[in-house]
Amino acid sequence: MTLSSIRETESREPHATDRDKTLVVGLGNPILGDDGVGWRVAEEVLCRLESPVHKSDRLDVVVERLSVGGLGLMERMVGFGKAIVIDSITTREGTPGDLSCFPLSALPDHSAGHTTSAHDTSLQNALKIAQEMGFNIPEEVWVVAIEARQTLDFSERLTAPVEATVPRAADAVLELLLNGAGEADDHDLT
Amino acid sequence: MTERIAIDPITRLEGHGKIEIFLDDDGNVANTYFQIPELRGFEQFCVGRPVEEMPVLTNRICGVCPEAHHMAAAKAADAVYKVDPPPTAKKLRELLYSAFYVTDHTTHFYALGGPDFIMGPDAPVAERNILGVIHKVGLEIGGKVIQARKYGHTVIEIIGGRKVHPCTSIPGGQTRGINEEERAEIEKMGRWSVDFAQFSLDIFADIVLGNQEYLDLILGDIYSHRMHYIGLVDENNLVNFYDGLVSVVDPNGKRLGKYAPDEYGDWIAERVEAWTYLKFPYLKQVGWKGFVGGEDSGVYSATPLSRLNAADGMATPLAQEHYERFFETLGGKPVHQQLATHWARLIELLYAAERWVELATDLEITGDDFHTVPTETPTEGVGIVEAPRGTLTHHYWTDERGVLTKVNLIVGTTNNYAPISMSIKKAAESLITSGTVVTEGLLNMVEMAFRSYDPCFGCATHSLPGQMPLEVKITDAQGETVETLRQYC
Repeated sequence: MTLSSIRETESREPHATDRDKTLVVGLGNPILGDDGVGWRVAEEVLCRLESPVHKSDRLDVVVERLSVGGLGLMERMVGFGKAIVIDSITTREGTPGDLSCFPLSALPDHSAGHTTSAHDTSLQNALKIAQEMGFNIPEEVWVVAIEARQTLDFSERLTAPVEATVPRAADAVLELLLNGAGEADDHDLT
Repeated sequence: MTERIAIDPITRLEGHGKIEIFLDDDGNVANTYFQIPELRGFEQFCVGRPVEEMPVLTNRICGVCPEAHHMAAAKAADAVYKVDPPPTAKKLRELLYSAFYVTDHTTHFYALGGPDFIMGPDAPVAERNILGVIHKVGLEIGGKVIQARKYGHTVIEIIGGRKVHPCTSIPGGQTRGINEEERAEIEKMGRWSVDFAQFSLDIFADIVLGNQEYLDLILGDIYSHRMHYIGLVDENNLVNFYDGLVSVVDPNGKRLGKYAPDEYGDWIAERVEAWTYLKFPYLKQVGWKGFVGGEDSGVYSATPLSRLNAADGMATPLAQEHYERFFETLGGKPVHQQLATHWARLIELLYAAERWVELATDLEITGDDFHTVPTETPTEGVGIVEAPRGTLTHHYWTDERGVLTKVNLIVGTTNNYAPISMSIKKAAESLITSGTVVTEGLLNMVEMAFRSYDPCFGCATHSLPGQMPLEVKITDAQGETVETLRQYC
């Protein structure tokens, strides 16, 4: 297994061989409570990948922890063949700690309404731009999402139900890495 | 008689942006109330931490302008320790900051503000975004936008250690300098950025200023407010993003004064309103008179337009030419039409790029004296920079070890809460008369109202789905809901 160790430095340039690699991104803000779950799961994934259990697997993975979205996140993905984004999610019906796994295409793209972020565009829109520009973007982008309880209070700790989901979320990422994409969850994403 | 409706605290927890519009007995707009989710508990979070951690910690407050918080925190930490960084350190910080401004203003104009004009406010919603701009103007634009961002992020990484969340500013200066090879690379990227900024202004001139409908929109009354303006200026009263004094001008353009960072408390007070957790800053010396403009109202704004109004000019030649053309076209100083902020933003983009080259070619920029070791006992300090979306103030109190005991921040967009509310009210008034609501276009007009301010609402959270849900609720004089418009919620 070839594996790049986890990076927060955000400094890399893609090259031709990265097309065989998968980028695993733990996304979020590590000081905003449950918004930091993406980083925690990414750390757990890295620990698992470095363990004897997975050393014999021939996985080519780069694991990063990032706090960017839209255009910035797209720019990080350029050059990789696949990407898995781990993030918190807030839905109308979800219960904190719920775990969902779905392709990015299943997430509603509201960039057409332009208030996606008050300062950027959606990841889906950013990837479309990259495609039109002829950039090498991942053929598949999957999302592993954990329903958050709170993301508006400054805290370096996850709430209990979200913390409890971290191992299962790491399982889901490893499943995607080892066995590829399966069926998406039926989790309501509207 | 209108009825006031108490705000349900749960709205805040849901992360919705919420606008409530109240109609009077004639069905016209009586009042509007604008609430956005506010991040909580930052002061408590910081208490007990060493102040030198703040430039890295405050990177995480706002997902939109980490670099701005990093710089304000660095300057506040300098002030806490009463240490003056050497010239090379200040120039490195300002160079990083100039590159950051290029990426930030580029992203806002092409991804957010620009589409309103380049595609047109009546264009289908699905096209009014950066992808629409690329389709209309050409793939070349997309490439340039990505290139501008890449160059800016590279400079931030070289000087700041990381592309978006710099980590090299400490009390007294920087942890590293740059060598000649890095300097030459930075200079080259800066010169490209100057050309790109001029290209962007050419697009604005061709597509926006050359179109009478857009010009009428910019010059129109709907987004016009006569109010006070603030912005950082250097010793010659020219716009500066990194350092200087805060200039304050009244709606006639008369300068009321300039204040140093540690004097902000003498100039800015905060108004508490019962219907929102947000506070509304206003000019203390003028006083709070409500959500109104004019010489007698302390409402002020801090935006690219404000900075141009509050200064006497730009410190670089090409930007200065555009500054002069800007005020000639719009009828003199100060300009009160808030949509002109988009144009002002591009002039600042050009200034930032020119300043980038100036600093990259400064003889001291590769100096090896980039840190002064603090020797004084830390106590209290204030740091102010101009964030792209407004004057940013960090105020720290520490114990004798430099451990934080209290923190107060006034972030860029906070300065503009009252003006944004006023703009939203005006937008609502134009589309709601005698009980008739023009729903189509209302959300867009409201969005255009606050989009020109380039706000940073709750952007530090990256939780999916990643957009700001917005609900607009219109209530008649009897308290009955007339209409509820929603997006993403």
